[in-house]
Amino acid sequence: MPEADAFLRVEHLSHSFGGFKAVDDCTFEIPKGSISALIGPNGAGKSTAVGLIAGALKVQSGRVYFNGQDVTRLPAYKMARRGLLRTYQVSREFPLLTVMENLLVPPPGQRGESLWNALFRPSVGRRQDAALASRAVDVLETYGLLPLRDEYAGNLSGGEKRLLELARAEMADPKFMLLDEPMAGINPALIARLDGHIRRLRDQAGITFLLVEHNLDVVERICDQVVVMASGRTLAEGSMAELRQNPEVVRAYLGGGLDERAVG
Amino acid sequence: MDLILPYLATLTIFFFVYNILTWGLNIQFGYAGVLDFTFITFVACGAYFSGVFALGPGQKSTGFEWILGLSWPFPIALVMGALAAGLLGIVIGLIAINRLRSDYMAIVTLATGTVIYGLVSNYTPLFDGFDGLAGLQTPFSQWLNINYNQFTYLWVGFCGVVMVICWFIAQRILNSPLGRTMRAIREDQEAAEAFGKDSVRVRLIAMSMGAVLAGVGGALLMGFIGAFNPAGWTSGETFVVWAALIVGGRGNNWGGVVGSFVVAVLVNEATRYIPPIPGNATLIPTVRNMLIGASLIAVLWLRPEGIIPEARRRFYQLPLLPGRRTPAEGVGSAGS
Repeated sequence: MPEADAFLRVEHLSHSFGGFKAVDDCTFEIPKGSISALIGPNGAGKSTAVGLIAGALKVQSGRVYFNGQDVTRLPAYKMARRGLLRTYQVSREFPLLTVMENLLVPPPGQRGESLWNALFRPSVGRRQDAALASRAVDVLETYGLLPLRDEYAGNLSGGEKRLLELARAEMADPKFMLLDEPMAGINPALIARLDGHIRRLRDQAGITFLLVEHNLDVVERICDQVVVMASGRTLAEGSMAELRQNPEVVRAYLGGGLDERAVG
Repeated sequence: MDLILPYLATLTIFFFVYNILTWGLNIQFGYAGVLDFTFITFVACGAYFSGVFALGPGQKSTGFEWILGLSWPFPIALVMGALAAGLLGIVIGLIAINRLRSDYMAIVTLATGTVIYGLVSNYTPLFDGFDGLAGLQTPFSQWLNINYNQFTYLWVGFCGVVMVICWFIAQRILNSPLGRTMRAIREDQEAAEAFGKDSVRVRLIAMSMGAVLAGVGGALLMGFIGAFNPAGWTSGETFVVWAALIVGGRGNNWGGVVGSFVVAVLVNEATRYIPPIPGNATLIPTVRNMLIGASLIAVLWLRPEGIIPEARRRFYQLPLLPGRRTPAEGVGSAGS
């Protein structure tokens, strides 16, 4: 039975590619309004779990509950329409769309997307676009991307693309964001900006976050709860401080380096 | 003068028709990234169906047999041909787009087209098999008393009007949120789905709207020539339209105009009227195909995005809500 405050709940999720069990009986839950992290060694099945939750991969066995409903078999676009957005390990901007256009794609309920309105009532789409563009200006300003609004998204730097991922996700008004390594390959100053944005979105828009993250400093700083995966399984759940005391977690993932730091 | 003018008029008709075809493929491939390698099948669908709606009933005893044969006025037959092509676009789209990634999708379109080609050219009760449709009265002849040259000029005008309508269809889709979503799906289908876009639905719209334009083009050819048979829509014809779009610039309908003029009119059609060289009848068609191939390679090497590339949409062109400050021009587009 999913608990009342569990916004996302994964039950006995398993998935294999050919003979390889990438995710093997994985169970955890994410409370509403939290910033949680999913950590674990490379190959632990974190990205596969993200794909299964987001509907990009077909669930082979197990269940996924989101917002109190069974969403196990929903395809990706329906998950997004229910308010669960995911980002990818590698930035997946639309390269030949401008930064501005990248922000205008995500908002749900665009009436200009119907063929009838596109052909016979173009003003419907134009009017809605005007409102969306105004909002996008504000969002771009928040992320410091406004000067780049007419640039092709494919020409942005790696860090700018990371900011763009978050900015365009914000445009979709999600309830839940599933970020797959949002800090991968960016400098410390930008990491600070990104986690500031994540906290702002949680505090102001009430968005729940689940981050797949290898940078444990970031996890320690912003995450309320951490789920550890190893070999496709959930190994432990709890706060970072609790997990540091867990010998199994230390052996599987945290390893020597962190052990020292935990001691020192 | 008596020869030059009808010749130019004929070329203009082909120019107008190929514009429509190139825009159709642009909607499918340039906007939505659908690799349609059987585009000519939709052209044929439009030609055949406009034909059987406009022709009288076929009779097996006379050696001419086809379905329908309703003798409808040609403009209505043209609309029916376009609708039939649009429907076929949805059918082939459902087979190819649902569950398949782009490269496999391309193979499936080609395979489906080959199946349809085999069926149409061998099953005579449909469109009279390899002999095809023939004997269509020149459109409007029931209302106007004109000779063939006058009809050609009239057809230039008719094609021009139809072309302008098609231009608006193609441009309105491109400039709408629907067009933007198509381009997003073209750029990254998975990411677009992760933002709630139903990529199958959107690409089916692109597929069928492109097919509608293909059908319109086919119907205009049918009305002009008065006959249509499988020799006119071999799979090689698909690649003339593809070459026109790639050379001209995908994602931009002006690019389509340039491409259809250079590839389809100058190279493909204009050279058809050069008398064959004695003793080497296949020389001109061979050179023609080589020229198309060479222009394709040249563009892909020198200007891969095409002669007129996709236009970048600048933000200060977007209308903002009244009262919202517009960021000063020049702040944007750092580099290009």
